[in-house]
Amino acid sequence: MSTLAPTDTSDRRTGAAHRKPELIDAVPVRHPGRWAGAVLILLFAALLGQSLVTNTNFRWDIVGTYFMDVLVIQGIGWTLLLTVLSMAIAIMLAILLAFMRQSDNPLFRGVSWTWVWFFRGTPVYTQLVFWGLISVLYPKIALGIPFGPELFSFSTQDVITAFMAAILGLGLNESAYLAEIFRAGLKSVDSGQMEAAEALGMRKSKIMWRIILPQAMRVIVPPTGNETIGMLKTTSLVLAVPFTLDLTFATNGIANRSYLPIPLLIVAALWYLVITSILMVGQYYVERHFGKGVDNIVPAPVKPTPAAAAAKAAKAPKVEDELP
Amino acid sequence: MTITNDLMTRETLVRIDGVHKYFGEHHVLRGIDMTVRQGEVSVLIGPSGSGKSTLLRCINMLETISAGRIHVREELIGYRETRGRLHDLTVKEIAAQRREIGMVFQRFNLFPHRTALQNIIEAPTQVKRQSKVKARSRAMELLDRVGLGNHANHYPAQLSGGQQQRVAIARALAMEPELMLFDEPTSALDPELVGEVLSVMKDLAKSGMTMIVVTHEIGFAREVGDTLTFMDGGVVVESGNPRDIIANPQQARTQEFLSKVL
Repeated sequence: MSTLAPTDTSDRRTGAAHRKPELIDAVPVRHPGRWAGAVLILLFAALLGQSLVTNTNFRWDIVGTYFMDVLVIQGIGWTLLLTVLSMAIAIMLAILLAFMRQSDNPLFRGVSWTWVWFFRGTPVYTQLVFWGLISVLYPKIALGIPFGPELFSFSTQDVITAFMAAILGLGLNESAYLAEIFRAGLKSVDSGQMEAAEALGMRKSKIMWRIILPQAMRVIVPPTGNETIGMLKTTSLVLAVPFTLDLTFATNGIANRSYLPIPLLIVAALWYLVITSILMVGQYYVERHFGKGVDNIVPAPVKPTPAAAAAKAAKAPKVEDELP
Repeated sequence: MTITNDLMTRETLVRIDGVHKYFGEHHVLRGIDMTVRQGEVSVLIGPSGSGKSTLLRCINMLETISAGRIHVREELIGYRETRGRLHDLTVKEIAAQRREIGMVFQRFNLFPHRTALQNIIEAPTQVKRQSKVKARSRAMELLDRVGLGNHANHYPAQLSGGQQQRVAIARALAMEPELMLFDEPTSALDPELVGEVLSVMKDLAKSGMTMIVVTHEIGFAREVGDTLTFMDGGVVVESGNPRDIIANPQQARTQEFLSKVL
């Protein structure tokens, strides 16, 4: 290092590196309010804890007895099945409805708008009762030429069972809400993405499915997770159909027979909490998947083909030029 | 270098005749005539709002034209003419025409959820139905060509602006277009990243690609351009050899513009 050039920046930098800077050790701002608040909250938590233990009306023994009861476990199974199937129907319909709403075809836009208007505009309870009564309205469903011969027919009661009616009622209603969520998601994607894909000669359906929707999912997943958790609880309305095997109906039934409503409500509430927590974990992973490249940049999933790897290896010695 | 006789004898690839474009009441293009020959690098300059980007976007139907005709290799763009009437092309036919024309955007528009390699193989595998193996080895060649062979598995967010734009060029080239359109490809870049993109474009020009480049890089126009077209207010003010125009602009408006950007 030249001593003749004391103004040389590299010299100055090395000098600074030798002398360790004195690190700042400032006194942080104190927050007495937080401590007072924490004490209050702890106090209330302790009181709540004490009452949970000492209040015999909770009947924790009954909660324990029925927590793993066969009827309760079966109820969970049905509730989960209702949630999963009705959400699956709702998501498929919502994607279709959102695509239709963005279509150039005015017919598609109209149908999509009307669907959302109707299913969002009437109470889900009413829709469930309606699906339960569909066999009264249409005892037989037949396909044929209007005023002409009938091609085939079936009895409505055989096809639209209580379970079917519950899923249709929940799924169609939910599809209207999800369609709006999906529409918002599709709109959130930069219009340059559509242009870039169009310029590459991709067809609209491919662009939507492969370019726009995957990016929209970042925006779509959080509210859809919210809707799924909402659906889990909304399944308790299926007694309107009536469908009588879900968790709420099962625990209600036991409560009515044993005259012990409170512990059975706790059983149901605890199970709903458990399932919600599991769903939240699932949502975390779904969000991570669709955040790929934007929210979380993980090592890329592409494995180069042997040919590409060889081609790359052959050219590897070539020096890269983009280092700033 | 001047426009060589060699270039003059080549066949016309793009022919723009009397093109007008209205955005509502706004008359953006007011009768543009222009030809681009096979292998020519045609540079469009002009102040913002002059219509140069709109003209470029009309060539691959990102905008529809209001009057006139655009032909690429004697094929009418966007319409079919039968018995004296124009018929809109179907989306399928438009997509087919676009496959022959590559486009590079000011804001790169890479697909953020796909790696560099995935960005490049998307159209060849999905549109041309190439096998993944073939598309990948071709994509790796292209990445090497733009100097990014080691960045195949990077997401756009992990790349600098210059690197993203080079991937975008490779993505357009993967469809093996006859014509490349560049819409202000360096305008969104930090000054020190402009050079790497321009050098890729220079190489591409040398390889004989037909290019229409909207840019503010006068140096690029002078060095690489075969023709320079200066547009203002939706009309072509002056067109010809870039070195002649830059050194000795004939129109007052061109002189005024060049004096500001040089």
